[in-house]
Amino acid sequence: MVEITIRKRSQTEAVITQRKFFKKTARGKVVKVLRERYLRDDVGCGIEGCRECASSDEELLPVNGDLTHQSYPNGHYILPDTNVFLSQMDLLESDRFRSPMILLQTVLEEVRHRSLPLYNRLKALTKSEDKRIWTFYNEYRSETAIVREEDETPNDRNDRGIRIATAWYNTHISLTRPPIRGQTKNAPPTVVLMTEDAANRQKAEQAGISCISVRKYVEGMKDASQLLDLLSATGSDDVEPTRASGRQVLYPEYLSSATLMAGVKAGELHQGHFNPNPYNYLEGTVSVPAFSKPILLAGRENMNRAVQGDIVVVELFNEKEWKAPTDEVVDQEATLKNDDAEDSAEEGDENGEDVIAKESRVLRSAQVPVSERQPTGRIVGVIKRNWRAYVCHIDSTSLTSTLTTSLSTQTVFATPVSRLLPRIRLRTRQAPSLLNQKILVTIDRWDTTSRYPEGHFVRSLGKVESKEAEQESLLLEYEVPYRPFGKAILDCLPPEGDSWVVPSKGGGDNHNVWRDREDLRDVIVCSIDPPGCQDIDDALHAKLLPNGNVEAGVHIADVSHFVLPDNPMDSEAAARGTTVYLVDNRIDMLPSLLGTNLCSLRPYVERLAFSTIWELTPNADIVDVRFTKSVIQSKAAFTYEEAQIRKDDPHLQDELTKSIRLLNSLAVKLKAKRMTAGALNLASPEVKIHLDSAESSEPIDVEQKELRETNSLVEEFMLLANVSVARKIDESFPQTAVLRRHLPPPKTNFEKLQDILRKTRGLTLDVSSSGALAASLDKCIDPSEPAFNTLVRIMATRCMLSAEYFCSGSVGRDTFGHYGLASDIYTHFTSPIRRYADVLVHRQLAAAIGFSPLHASLHSKSHVEKVLDVVNRRHRMAQMASRASVEFYVGLALKGRGEASKARGEGEVREEAFVIRTFRNGVGVFVSKLGIEGLVTFTRDIQFDADNYTVTVPGSASAGSKEDAKISVFDKVVVQIEVEKDKNTQRGKVKMTLIEPVDSRAL
Amino acid sequence: MASTSISKAERSYIQAGLLASPARRTDGRTVTDFRSISLETGVAPLANGSARLSIGQNPHNGSGGTEVVAAAKLEVETVEEEDGTGDGRIVCSVSCSPSAYPNLSTGALDDLQHDLTTVLHQTLSDRSLHPSNLVILPGKKSWLLNLDILVLADSGNIYDALFMAARAALWDTKVPRTRSVEYKAKRNEPIAKNTSGGSGDMDVDQDTTSGFDTRKIISNAIDFELPDYWDEGEVLDGRDRWPVCVTLNLVPPVHYLDALPLEEASTPVRLLLVFSFPSSAPPTLQAMRMLGAGEVNVAELKSLVTEGEKYAKEMMTAITFKLKEEDVRRNQKAREKFAKR
Repeated sequence: MVEITIRKRSQTEAVITQRKFFKKTARGKVVKVLRERYLRDDVGCGIEGCRECASSDEELLPVNGDLTHQSYPNGHYILPDTNVFLSQMDLLESDRFRSPMILLQTVLEEVRHRSLPLYNRLKALTKSEDKRIWTFYNEYRSETAIVREEDETPNDRNDRGIRIATAWYNTHISLTRPPIRGQTKNAPPTVVLMTEDAANRQKAEQAGISCISVRKYVEGMKDASQLLDLLSATGSDDVEPTRASGRQVLYPEYLSSATLMAGVKAGELHQGHFNPNPYNYLEGTVSVPAFSKPILLAGRENMNRAVQGDIVVVELFNEKEWKAPTDEVVDQEATLKNDDAEDSAEEGDENGEDVIAKESRVLRSAQVPVSERQPTGRIVGVIKRNWRAYVCHIDSTSLTSTLTTSLSTQTVFATPVSRLLPRIRLRTRQAPSLLNQKILVTIDRWDTTSRYPEGHFVRSLGKVESKEAEQESLLLEYEVPYRPFGKAILDCLPPEGDSWVVPSKGGGDNHNVWRDREDLRDVIVCSIDPPGCQDIDDALHAKLLPNGNVEAGVHIADVSHFVLPDNPMDSEAAARGTTVYLVDNRIDMLPSLLGTNLCSLRPYVERLAFSTIWELTPNADIVDVRFTKSVIQSKAAFTYEEAQIRKDDPHLQDELTKSIRLLNSLAVKLKAKRMTAGALNLASPEVKIHLDSAESSEPIDVEQKELRETNSLVEEFMLLANVSVARKIDESFPQTAVLRRHLPPPKTNFEKLQDILRKTRGLTLDVSSSGALAASLDKCIDPSEPAFNTLVRIMATRCMLSAEYFCSGSVGRDTFGHYGLASDIYTHFTSPIRRYADVLVHRQLAAAIGFSPLHASLHSKSHVEKVLDVVNRRHRMAQMASRASVEFYVGLALKGRGEASKARGEGEVREEAFVIRTFRNGVGVFVSKLGIEGLVTFTRDIQFDADNYTVTVPGSASAGSKEDAKISVFDKVVVQIEVEKDKNTQRGKVKMTLIEPVDSRAL
Repeated sequence: MASTSISKAERSYIQAGLLASPARRTDGRTVTDFRSISLETGVAPLANGSARLSIGQNPHNGSGGTEVVAAAKLEVETVEEEDGTGDGRIVCSVSCSPSAYPNLSTGALDDLQHDLTTVLHQTLSDRSLHPSNLVILPGKKSWLLNLDILVLADSGNIYDALFMAARAALWDTKVPRTRSVEYKAKRNEPIAKNTSGGSGDMDVDQDTTSGFDTRKIISNAIDFELPDYWDEGEVLDGRDRWPVCVTLNLVPPVHYLDALPLEEASTPVRLLLVFSFPSSAPPTLQAMRMLGAGEVNVAELKSLVTEGEKYAKEMMTAITFKLKEEDVRRNQKAREKFAKR
């Protein structure tokens, strides 16, 4: 008979064998969790050649540890405590930091418990090939497992566990390396406990365990000076303990996160994203659902260390303390010019008091009561930090020594490129060499005692104004993923590469490419795009039918044929969301083989397409629409200009020209219909940058984009296709269709613009519906100034919300509408090469027409929502990045132009501009010719009439006129534009000064 | 309890034995002798407190005897509107394994469970025994203590076993420490400037309220957190108050303790006396119940209560001693053993 042995451990050993803990679930229940623990004697130490521990083929730690550290000549391994990973991850990730490391299970678990993102970075670190890290499961090795004592806090227990493990390692090493007779005994390598916790270090020293702080350790390393910069600011306190005492507390403490949650739940506190005011660094707002207006936060103290994008919790003040936002421009650099980086955190120094006094002056003047008050409050806590790496310049005045040879540590200010961020204080030894460089800086912490956040230097991007540095910093600043596509992604491309062709119909079609595809190769299709377009994703055709109707077709590149759901290429495209167009570069969403070749509907070659084909009456009413996958062969690729010329040339009577004319006549009717339905004709300042040549990419000039009839032709048909597709997929997948909507803007958004128009021009703006708005915008005309209408349109556009992708099952059907296009339903179908949402729409449409089954992920509402959230964000960022890129080039062009005109002896560049905003101490202007906005500030007192949006500049001899000059919004002025570099930070800045009606240079 | 049927001859034989002087019982005990009791706590690791108790089990092979398992489990409960349960509830239930009562039909078993549950629940959920630390957030959230007892085998004296097991499980119960989280809006106060350290917004159960204050104190606390999730928690308040039960089996004019099933069947009246012995107050009689068809007059009852208190006291001393020993065994000794490994 087989003997059965019961291996279950008896209840009496429960203390050792079981790990018990409580967990509070999301629903507020308390659950007791029990984990069985088996202690073993064969958990390996991971050191190469250890005779006790069985070595597996995994990467082991070297026999002698690391011999390069000066404090440990016999070799050593480091065993970091949890706090090292929590605060110094950048250091550990550095390529220069190569000490062999022992990672305890206790530490790993604690890191996971404290911060999931850091835990994931740590996991990645252990897997990376150039690190030597051994994970030791100390809780499962019988010698190192510990049981929590009575009245011991979890933290103390873990610390004790880490110390015991360190001690065990050291005895283990000495035991497994007995002296060999005849050889001089080498001292074995040491395992060093690395911790930032002074108390733990003290206890370890008492127990005879060697231990060290991170800073001390790094100081003894070979590359100390570079590595020390990577140290996060957290470590600085215990190096200079005297500094920590007696600091003045500048900010209130945050409440605990549980308190915050309780307050938010109870409705006492409000949660939202923090948005700093770009004009005034002492002011910010938080939009919360409870109020229609955002909550105002005035003053440093009330903004309480929030950084742009943080999710914060706000406490409201009494209603009588509510304020209106200031109407003054307050520049951080100007106000804080003399602030010293070394001293700014010190107690009661003169400088600090000075700043406080200055700031309070600014705030006091802001307390003038205006009719428009808005909820005001203060930040009492931060739910989630949005800290990332920021592109900065070093402020040269904050340097104490500019000698490049100086290697002493200096505390300097880094000024972020984005105006929305505060200056960052950092300590570096390389300060002098970082001047005139764009650098990447991460914020580590922001203490209550420090006026500025503290950070550390990550890496240098290159010289200021060099193309590479500017471009990379732009991409980093807008979080555009720009790394080249990895191998896994490129492996998803067709193996034929460049030589891929549509297989011949019939015999040669091994992959069934022709299955259910219509052969439209004979149809006369052409594409119309901007000049130099490489990723042609749409083509058109039209022909007269025998019954007098017109057949019109829109053919879109069949990207979903190449990008299959859920493979690496698809995930990458989903993460990138969109292609980003910069003036001199394009960051592709899909590998360029697809984007510019296989999917691009180039002329004269066969390409796969997804076609939408309508039968339209001559009046452009839809009789019928069908969707089909197809194979087309474009007959021509036109630029807008070429198409326009061809259409207007009466001598040309070929099929292609006729079909363009046919398309155009339909487009005109479609547009008219759309306009009657109440579509808005919006405007945004668009300019074009002329580049000299591809190599030098020096901008020559800036001009406004020209719009031709053919632009509108393409646009109308794309809109038509998008609407038709949207209806089809919504019908087929009412829960998960990928659609796009534009919510009507809240009426309050227009209040200010309406008021300005009424007071300055006596015009009214009817915002009751998009149609009414369109009509009243048409009436906003100044006969003497044609650009006025465009200006009003631009300002009206800014009052609107932005359009967004959404999942049809996630919102109410009554909110599907597209306000700007006056369509009840809309989606994006026509640019799958450069927008990921279109790829999803293609898949859904293919499923809707029964071409292929729908991938399971597109049936899941939560999945679609998640993907679209990313796409929406990427889309926004991409727009901002392209705008910033244009701005940078406009700046370069201006500089070039200014130099040229100076050379000719004509002085600075002058342009006409419109006033778009008035401030207490300046005016905001828009230069339509250059598409840029600027700020003119007056240093002398001016009269400001907030109610009538005017400023009055008193006349004086120096200003060239004795008369008072009154400037109000919409007035045309002449400004002088120069690009000047900030002397300290080398940050390029467009500076505008008023020339007419008054010369503000003297003011 | 009508679980055992018995013939008249058998009954008179047993009664005669009990009435004889000295009494003769089938297993040779005197009238006040108990069978051996064994007790172990912490038998259900996932419960917040548990115990296994047996009376009269054969020490060599573990057979025979009455055996019950008790487990206390805490559950977070949202306090409903104003129904006076703001400070936690105790709900007891007794279930009987059909194998303990093979001769009972399902219906009869249900009745029995119900009877046992009623006695236990009514006694233990009494306000006088209510532990004070079942409150999580006053008026909002509290612990619901479910005390479940399973009868595995019944060979007499089930009530005493039930109460002892209940006491052991409740003694063993630990309440997870919670901290209420609350946000107090500080109206009409200037914004605290330069607050150093934790500002006073966090309130951690420090309210001391005057007994004269009869106003309803509205707390803003909405939620709670577990400050130390590794910790089992603090012991349930009033662990020394949990009562024990003594069943006096009356065969007038004598009474005896710890009846066997056959003895129970031949006893006309049984008197349950439940005593609590708070450490700082005189003993209290928590419950009294008569089972059976016979009757007892007041004078007799008085002397029986006095006698019963004496037995209960002895029982209490023994069980408390054992419980303390168990505590030591499971914590300190286990740790020492671990350290000595």
